[in-house]
Amino acid sequence: MKPDVDVTLQLIAASLMTEIAPKISDDYIQRNSMLTAMLLQSAAEEWDRAAARRVEENRTLRRLFAEVAPEIGDPELRERLDAASGEEEESLRISDLNRSNDGLRTLLIQLHAHVEGIDTEGARRIEAAIWRELRVSTERRALSLAPF
Amino acid sequence: MADLSERFARYVAHQWPDASDIRVEGLSRIHGGASRETYRLRLKLRRDGVAEERPLILRRDPSGSLIETERATEYNAYRAFQGTAVPVPEPLWLEEDEQWLDRPFFVMEEITGCESSPQTLLTTPPYQEHIERMGEQKWRILGALNKADPGELGLADLMPAVKPEECWQRELLKWEEMIDEDEMTPQPIGRAAIRWLRRHPPPPPQKISVVHADFRTGNFLADGEGNIRAILDWEMAHLGNAIEDLAWSISRIWCWARDDRPGGLLPRDRAIALWEEASGLRADPEALHWWELLANLKALAIWISGGNEYATGSNHDTILGFTGWWLTNSQNRAILEIMGHLT
Repeated sequence: MKPDVDVTLQLIAASLMTEIAPKISDDYIQRNSMLTAMLLQSAAEEWDRAAARRVEENRTLRRLFAEVAPEIGDPELRERLDAASGEEEESLRISDLNRSNDGLRTLLIQLHAHVEGIDTEGARRIEAAIWRELRVSTERRALSLAPF
Repeated sequence: MADLSERFARYVAHQWPDASDIRVEGLSRIHGGASRETYRLRLKLRRDGVAEERPLILRRDPSGSLIETERATEYNAYRAFQGTAVPVPEPLWLEEDEQWLDRPFFVMEEITGCESSPQTLLTTPPYQEHIERMGEQKWRILGALNKADPGELGLADLMPAVKPEECWQRELLKWEEMIDEDEMTPQPIGRAAIRWLRRHPPPPPQKISVVHADFRTGNFLADGEGNIRAILDWEMAHLGNAIEDLAWSISRIWCWARDDRPGGLLPRDRAIALWEEASGLRADPEALHWWELLANLKALAIWISGGNEYATGSNHDTILGFTGWWLTNSQNRAILEIMGHLT
């Protein structure tokens, strides 16, 4: 049986921390080895969920854009929201999902800045939805080693 | 390391032509100096027939770092605060000529028998027994630092001048530009913070102060009795609004004890009260809120920049990659918290 990537990374990290690093006499190299082990632990945690959280976030953003587009008065922005909301993932490679995510999050920034400048109840509702999504986006990315 | 030791010994001979038997022993790199390569060494020599031994710290420019900083700023700050209520190590040399060690560097005395690591200070005897004592000194020292007159210290002519009403714009622009240059993915939370900061400028400072700009647990040395013996890492020091320092020092990301105590040391209100008492300044709540958000944006910019350098630059020091992974998302959560959008 071939161990999965996350299991492999976890075991390498554990070996670095408990077997290799303690035997390194140079303090700088030893601490770097410990940091490397922690990086590997984080990479292992991310590996299993990497595609899922990107797909979930991209879907959520497209759904948000579809919901709010009819309320946006700026025709150019509305058109871009409509176009983005109709897109689908062409590939589940992480690099491709990242490219989609970058495009969607750039559009989210533009939408956010746009509604901040509008003094209506509808704009406040959209703004609240954006803040909700931004909060959830940090929950999707949370790592168990992170301080906050 | 042997090569670096020999080259540094040649540099000392150049600086002190009357010295003989110059030897550099035990040169080893210290972990954590993400903005400079930091080395510990023992310098042995004879002058006027007398043997001397000095523990020293050598700080050399890296090929890339978390932040682009001016070595002269740090060196000048160490010189300026010698003998004041703000403890600092004695600086020896600032060298810009790359012929000696390939890159510019400066040298200062090593303050021995101390610890700076937050994890050690907060969780390991004997330091952890003095948490409150360290906290009280920490914010009193920061108050003294911010109270000091930049002109009397000789720093007013060495640091760029700034008008009181322009302090906030200069800092916001600096960190926004770093995000513009180094972001590898869009930053919707950071961008929202920037827009808010620009729409709600803070009141101007009560006076122009020296701002350390990285005053936190991790950047001071404490001995085993809980005495703070030196404030370190002045690379980002500048003239500006003292509340910038207070806000950074109490920032969420430095709550190392994973509770609400700034720097893992004292309750927030106590830290602020100590700073106000020592500085003679008032921590205006509106100004403090603005500068706390700026502090979180600045930290985000630093993690972004470090991650970019690690991934695409010439410095692949693990600390740069680690902070990108470890802190970027937490920093975004801290921004949400201070903007009232985390719950």
